[in-house]
Amino acid sequence: MNNEIWVFVQLNGQNVEPTSLQLITKARDIAGDRPVVALVAETESMNVEATVKEYGPDKMVILKDDQFHNASDGEIADALDQVVTDLKPNSLLFPATVLGRSVAPRLQAKLKTGLTADCLDIYFDGDDLVQVKPTYGDDIMCEIICPDVRPQMATIRPNTFKAVKAATDTETVNYSFTFHPEANIEVVSETPVINSAANISDAKTVIALGRGANNEKVIAKAEKLAGKLGGMVGVSRPLTDNEGFSHENQIGQSGNTIAPDLLINFGISGAVQYAVGIENAKQIVSINTDAKAPIFDKSDYAFVGDADEFMSALLDQVR
Amino acid sequence: MKIVVCIKQVPNTDTVKIDPKTNNLVRSNVEGIINSFDRNAIEAALELRQQAGGTITLLSMGPDSYITSLRDGLAMGADSAILLSSRKFGGADTLATAYVLSEAIKKIGDVDLILFGRQSVDADTGQVGPIVAEDLQLPQVTFAESLELQDNNQLTGHRLLDNVVQEVKVKLPAVITVRSEMNSPRYETPLNIQKSFEKEITIWSENELAVDPTQIGQAGSPTVVKRIFSPEKAGRQTQMLPNNAKDAVAQLLADLNN
Ligand SMILES: Cc1cc2nc3c(=O)[nH]c(=O)nc-3n(C[C@H](O)[C@H](O)[C@H](O)COP(=O)(O)OP(=O)(O)OC[C@H]3O[C@@H](n4cnc5c(N)ncnc54)[C@H](O)[C@@H]3O)c2cc1C
Ligand SMILES: Cc1cc2nc3c(=O)[nH]c(=O)nc-3n(C[C@H](O)[C@H](O)[C@H](O)COP(=O)(O)OP(=O)(O)OC[C@H]3O[C@@H](n4cnc5c(N)ncnc54)[C@H](O)[C@@H]3O)c2cc1C
Repeated sequence: MNNEIWVFVQLNGQNVEPTSLQLITKARDIAGDRPVVALVAETESMNVEATVKEYGPDKMVILKDDQFHNASDGEIADALDQVVTDLKPNSLLFPATVLGRSVAPRLQAKLKTGLTADCLDIYFDGDDLVQVKPTYGDDIMCEIICPDVRPQMATIRPNTFKAVKAATDTETVNYSFTFHPEANIEVVSETPVINSAANISDAKTVIALGRGANNEKVIAKAEKLAGKLGGMVGVSRPLTDNEGFSHENQIGQSGNTIAPDLLINFGISGAVQYAVGIENAKQIVSINTDAKAPIFDKSDYAFVGDADEFMSALLDQVR
Repeated sequence: MKIVVCIKQVPNTDTVKIDPKTNNLVRSNVEGIINSFDRNAIEAALELRQQAGGTITLLSMGPDSYITSLRDGLAMGADSAILLSSRKFGGADTLATAYVLSEAIKKIGDVDLILFGRQSVDADTGQVGPIVAEDLQLPQVTFAESLELQDNNQLTGHRLLDNVVQEVKVKLPAVITVRSEMNSPRYETPLNIQKSFEKEITIWSENELAVDPTQIGQAGSPTVVKRIFSPEKAGRQTQMLPNNAKDAVAQLLADLNN
């Protein structure tokens, strides 16, 4: 056992998935004298080391094999298991992306250790990696630790931390391992998704609707307002059950993190799982009939009153 | 085809209270329902059974109150249900939960396909499916948004990764976790609800399973909840707008334009 913090570097095609770099920075911030190690699994022709190095890991452990192209979750987990079992890091962080959330638990099962999902913060308390995540209820977070087993594993929510470049002498270790193909599964193809529909994470203005604004009339007005303001309509989780909305429109912990210049919340109470998705918005305006709604504490402007009324007034006055 | 669908019962509300003394959820008075993604998993199983024949067994680990959601799943059209229930299973994290489910699936025997929801809507980890796949040494397709039967022992699924769609072929037996985009779960019909009460729900405890006592429940759970707390309020200065909507909007627009 050593005291190293490892970060799994996810690759999207030829590029490094941004969360991985954010995690290298975060690991450096909390490391103290613990070395930060980037774990890279790539094909022979790829070379993401140069990019990863810019973020200042103390070491890179590189696994190279052409079969990483279109590898299955099980194959990736098997390769990682070999190096982790051998070199025994103290902690191991994954991006909470679809891939991270699929590979990390398979690795967890091999290592028989704990894995905390979708963390919003991490810090060390002695040797314990304290993993912070929201739990039930409007404003409740919990801290999870894995006191007796190593490595301490966590997946961490994308875009929670900023990636910052840092100059360090980075040691590079080419780790030799055996790629074990999984017999009964084949990744046939990978097709890039053309994001033709604009993505709510990138929208400059967001009109967000919650359960207090969940009727056809208000929704239609919101679409119109979004059109006028050049923005997009987003929703709290309950509204994803509506015909017209899906997970793509959802704001919050289990949806999208947004960072618009202007966010207007209509009939949203402000549960912590929603609130974590809007922290990076520049200006927040909230409309709610309940003067005590938690959303107001997270807002720059508050209107205590009816969503429909305020929306109509906005439609009238915005040119 | 022998299909097992793992289902979790979740509170029918988003704002469950936590007992500040014990750190436990206060579950009384909250009605339990099937985790919504698990309804999609059941629907996927029903469609596959229609094409390939076979049986669907629902499997759930939890207290006896979980009978409610198993009964609902039977009313959707599943053939049988097994509840894994014991005090010893309590306090399980994902590793210990998946271990018990895996041992039950081994006991059921000759299972071709194990379906999960993509994640639970309460704890939301999405880890149980992949851990079961690893425990049983099976291939997995997680976050699947489509599933097609190729022949009787092969499936093709699509899954959406961060910015690519993967097409994956698996030979059975396999583990699939299902996204809500895959289908629209059917409603229970009065006839099926009636029939569901004729179907038996089997209950297994650690005595019926070949489980290692150190790997179940709290004892088998490496993670520990250390603390539950209310985060500090985000530091925004909140300006109250006038009570009249028209004036409020006028003031807001004036401010924002500055
Ligand atoms: C693990 C987990 C993950 C979750 N992830 C997310 C997530 O990613 N995103 C998310 O949004 N939620 C998420 N939730 C759910 C979250 O806890 C809340 O339940 C949800 O955000 C509530 O949505 P809401 O504010 O629209 O509804 P409510 O909480 O019901 O609030 C409705 C609000 O509308 C107000 N209102 C009523 N009528 C009017 C009116 N006429 N005009 C103006 N205001 C009115 C009410 O006063 C109230 O404040 C998650 C929950 C869990 C347990
Ligand atoms: C707020 C909160 C946070 C938690 N965070 C973590 C964490 O980070 N790491 C951790 O290890 N544990 C965590 N736990 C414990 C975890 O909730 C339990 O282990 C639970 O039994 C399974 O995890 P899940 O609900 O996340 O299931 P998921 O993995 O999200 O569920 C995926 C699918 O697995 C199946 N499934 C899940 N549970 C059962 C069941 N009991 N019976 C049958 N099928 C099932 C269903 O098909 C479900 O759709 C947390 C608990 C709470 C209350």
